[in-house]
Amino acid sequence: MVTTTPAAPSTPRFLAREDLQILIDVLREDGRVVIGPTVADGAIVLDEIRRVDELPAGWGDVQGPGHYALVRRDDARLFDFTVGPTSWKRWTFPPTAPLTRVSGPIDDTVYQPWDPEIPRLAFLGVRACEIAALVVQDRVLLGGPFTDADYDARRAAALVVAVQCTAASSTCFCASMGTGPEVRSGHDLVLTELDDGFVVDGGSARGREILARLPTTAATGDQVADGITVVGAARLAMRVGVTTVGLPDRLLAQLDHPRWAQVAERCLTCTNCTSVCPTCFCTSVVQRSELVGTASGSVRTWDSCFNPGFAKVAGGSFRSRPRDRYRQWLTHKFSTWVDQFGTFGCVGCGRCITWCPVGIDVREELLAIAPPIAPRVTLPGPMPVAAGPAEFASATIASTRAETDDTATLVLTDMDGTLLETKPGQFVMLTLPAFPRLPISVSRVREDGIELTIRAVGPATKALTASKPGEIVGIRGPLGVGWPIERAIGRDVVVVTGGIGLAPLRPLIDAVLADRSKFGAFRLFYGARTRRDMVFRDELAGWASSPDVDVQLIVDRGGQDWLGRVGVVTQLFDQATWEGSKAVAFVCGPERMMQNTVRALADRGVQPDRTYVTLERHMECGIGLCGHCQMGRYFVCRDGPVFSLAQLGDIFGREGV
Amino acid sequence: MDTVSAPGTAPAPAPARPRVGVVKFASCDGCQLSILDLERELLEVAAHFDIVEFPEASSARSDGPYDVLFVEGSISTPEQAEQIADLRGRAKLLVTIGACATAGGIQALRNWADHDAWRAAVYARPEVVSSLATATPIADHVRVDAELRGCPIGIGQLRELLTALILGRRPEVRDEAVCAECKRRGAVCVMVATGTPCLGPVTQGGCGALCPRWGRGCYGCFGPREAANAQSLAGWFVGAGRDEPDVGRLFAGFTAWAEPFRTMVTELGGARGAEGTRGERE
Repeated sequence: MVTTTPAAPSTPRFLAREDLQILIDVLREDGRVVIGPTVADGAIVLDEIRRVDELPAGWGDVQGPGHYALVRRDDARLFDFTVGPTSWKRWTFPPTAPLTRVSGPIDDTVYQPWDPEIPRLAFLGVRACEIAALVVQDRVLLGGPFTDADYDARRAAALVVAVQCTAASSTCFCASMGTGPEVRSGHDLVLTELDDGFVVDGGSARGREILARLPTTAATGDQVADGITVVGAARLAMRVGVTTVGLPDRLLAQLDHPRWAQVAERCLTCTNCTSVCPTCFCTSVVQRSELVGTASGSVRTWDSCFNPGFAKVAGGSFRSRPRDRYRQWLTHKFSTWVDQFGTFGCVGCGRCITWCPVGIDVREELLAIAPPIAPRVTLPGPMPVAAGPAEFASATIASTRAETDDTATLVLTDMDGTLLETKPGQFVMLTLPAFPRLPISVSRVREDGIELTIRAVGPATKALTASKPGEIVGIRGPLGVGWPIERAIGRDVVVVTGGIGLAPLRPLIDAVLADRSKFGAFRLFYGARTRRDMVFRDELAGWASSPDVDVQLIVDRGGQDWLGRVGVVTQLFDQATWEGSKAVAFVCGPERMMQNTVRALADRGVQPDRTYVTLERHMECGIGLCGHCQMGRYFVCRDGPVFSLAQLGDIFGREGV
Repeated sequence: MDTVSAPGTAPAPAPARPRVGVVKFASCDGCQLSILDLERELLEVAAHFDIVEFPEASSARSDGPYDVLFVEGSISTPEQAEQIADLRGRAKLLVTIGACATAGGIQALRNWADHDAWRAAVYARPEVVSSLATATPIADHVRVDAELRGCPIGIGQLRELLTALILGRRPEVRDEAVCAECKRRGAVCVMVATGTPCLGPVTQGGCGALCPRWGRGCYGCFGPREAANAQSLAGWFVGAGRDEPDVGRLFAGFTAWAEPFRTMVTELGGARGAEGTRGERE
């Protein structure tokens, strides 16, 4: 997953300034495109470098909040500046990357991963903070249960030639984040620029192999010492930093701080900060289709938690206010990222400060919102490296069944065998050609396939519910964490749900009934707008007439065809003569309904660590790589969608999280 | 959308193609020309849509009904106000195209001015010119189902809308600032690096950051994006030493009449020649 092998002890070499072209030539001889710094459009950007005179000789930079300027110096140094607007993620994690190609007619659709050609690259001039950023993205995109194959290939194909910083901008704060300015690891080669040339050292076997092909001499003691001195000067030049001790806890304790609203008055939610950030990884999937619609494909594109649609689901956005979005970004970078990935999401490069059009400085905001107090912080270790990515594969619609006026169940067969091992409460990402991918919970696992129950609320769900037997859908799964049914063995089982919320609970009901003797009393409370809006009506009737389960139903609006109770589902608890301390509760419904339900359950004695809810969030990937469904320290798709109340704590029901 | 083909089916067009009309009000016809700029796809468009009214392209005319009606231009005369109400009744889906139809256009600058004085200054016999005191977007007059922004509209967004209409899905028009497109294309921010005023942070994307990529500030032709914080951006420009009317003029372009740009023009000044505008000096 990482480009380098551990560094063996090596002796620093010295490369004369006039011989730097040979390094570029050697890299290009190996078939690598060399990417490095060059001056364009008033800034030092990264682009392809063929000749050493394309490097920014004699150029420096002055940076401040919302401000960047080139300055001309009277020397010929090539790397005496700090990071510019471009980050290396442009090549390891490109702004757009093709994902899936879909072709063929609806009854013979083929989903194929799009295998782009990965160029062999050499990054020339990578700074310590930027190596740290690559390692942060390694953890995010390669360190979890699912990995990003495109990133993996691009990262492995890039050689890292690092350069020690000899200057610091006013926006630099790598020293306080512990990521620089000294390059210590993660590189193949590292250069330290002196007046007449470079001290060069290998950081990996392939780096040392390249070093051996360069016309170097052994670096003298003075040259090595000079190199250490100039980097030390860069460290001392950094004046303003972030106090990281205890920061994750300090920050998360300030979710209600008035400063969030104040900074939102300045914040343009323009996404410049997340675009220039070398670690931000949030993406969306865009459908590309020809006008005729016979071939289509999906493309991953950089997105941002500052965009209004980022946390949107059918009913609205979970972060409608700019203050929510700024809070999401800052708390992720400096708090919940640590829980998720074992490092901060910030490496202190300062790009978000310089390139904010209105000069918002994260260091100032952190100081105002979460000033240093307690000297305590614990960083969890890296997450285990796990299996490869789940690609989209096809499944055939065997049959469909209407549940209500707007809801249908699709029976899918001819699919990858792992889908038949779907656990109750897990979900799949489902798509039709040229339509967006949607998270859909599995409503039954059969011997030969799975059932998905879908309510038509938008064009994509409408197309899915209208699909016909024989048609092909694209599917990725099973995904997420399901209901922990084993926790209910020997205890009473309480299921509370409404409307289509019964769908993800139906496999749980199946599992409990299949092993009925292992559980205590089994109660199902189900509400719907009207009788006609109840799903699985035949099965509900069957369960209700069975002694195995106590079924209680309620509707919002009664009618001629309804003789039962009218009201909200929690009203069913009033009648019930049961006691919750021995029960495990499983709840699914709109978030407001679940909040009311868990309160009512708590009143009956159900413990928070035995109360489980399943959450709905905007999802694009379903495997914890796109960032949309983040909720505090969790990705709902990967760490949920089923959570216990104890896990969620006070973020459950909080606005704008 | 019963008449469009199911997703992924073979390209054979259904016998009843959706009837499409393209009409215009006060505008320059540039957005209609953008439709014709589809060039290579025009035949496919014609295979999927029955284009029954499009004076810029064809002498065939139809009063409707239309399954989809594209409307260019803003409402500038009493007759136009009657016509748009009538057309709405003939269209299942009404799509406004371009800055004039969606925001009022450059002609909406007269909304800040003395209409009668301007008319008298321009026309030799102003009494024969029948015009409203304002130029206003279509949505001020009738319900609008979808809008394509821009001056002119972006051809990529137009293609996506047509594709979505054929497939029966929601068009994937991204709800983001020009900055997001600018950064994805790797352009250097003109505001930060050269101090050039740019409306990109508050403007709806869709143009591919055309102006900033050529070193110019965005002038907002796609109009304000959702929750555009124009106040903060204007405050930054003023803080950088610009006069308030100069800052107001940045917002007084093709989408000046759309909020919150409208408030910036009203509060800071900058509607050229307008009277009674605070801070106006010209």
